[in-house]
Amino acid sequence: MWTWFYKLASPPYVYGVAAALMPWFLGVAALAIGYGLIGGLVFAPPDYQQGDAFRIIYVHVPNAWMSEFVYTTMAVAGAIALIWRIKVAHAVAAASAPIGASFTLAALFTGSMWGKPMWGTYWAWDPRLTSELILLFLYVGVMSLRSAFEDPARGDRAAALLSIVGVVNIPIIKFSVVWWNSLHQGATVAKLGKPSIAGSMLWPLLSMFVGFMLFYGAVLCLRLQGEVLSRERQSAWVREAVKS
Amino acid sequence: MNSGFWSMGGYARYVWPCIAFACAVLAWNLWSARRFLAAARSRAGRAIAMADAEGKAR
Repeated sequence: MWTWFYKLASPPYVYGVAAALMPWFLGVAALAIGYGLIGGLVFAPPDYQQGDAFRIIYVHVPNAWMSEFVYTTMAVAGAIALIWRIKVAHAVAAASAPIGASFTLAALFTGSMWGKPMWGTYWAWDPRLTSELILLFLYVGVMSLRSAFEDPARGDRAAALLSIVGVVNIPIIKFSVVWWNSLHQGATVAKLGKPSIAGSMLWPLLSMFVGFMLFYGAVLCLRLQGEVLSRERQSAWVREAVKS
Repeated sequence: MNSGFWSMGGYARYVWPCIAFACAVLAWNLWSARRFLAAARSRAGRAIAMADAEGKAR
């Protein structure tokens, strides 16, 4: 276990693993997202209250979940990098930031489009919507902070600190619908008891979630290779990697 | 596909832009990540070529 953990700190090892995993992640992600979209848009029945507008769930919820998951990954990577001084962890955090920001933007856009027919407005300063918007600002802040320093190592450390501090926003997003009065509906799938969604609607949604997770894995692998190459440009192994 | 599918029960102007935006975000992610990796490879290749040229000059 620890040997594997230490191996993950090795840039050439991580570069090789990322290159090998990327096509598999992308292939399975395409299948899962394809199944999820067809199942959700074609075969799932309309919702008894929201009609076909509920189908926005198949892109809104995966994007919203991923916006939180990627941020948490970024914060954990930042903590690992600061505690164990593992440079690859900084590369993981740097590679994750633009991906997470794009998922957050998509969650906000699709949520806003869903809000108009259901709530009568594209935007409300509701706790869930506001905390998700703060998440987008956090992503932008982390990316800006990383590139604001001439010394990349200082930029990495500052960005890691901000991402760790900002992780407090994740439980706020999750529990905002419980703690405060909210226009946003409560948990539908991730409930401790039985999910309050029919199986024919749930399976495509879970497939979308798996697809988005694997898609994140694939894009992370690509960006991580680029980050590692940029950071290790002076290393001897890069010569072989660039030639291949 | 029947017209009911495309009209999404009257919610087409909300549903389809969401699907399109989400697909565009996925496509942008893939395109920008590939571009980022290609640029990093190119920069590393240039750095190696410069180092080799300096080595030969000596």
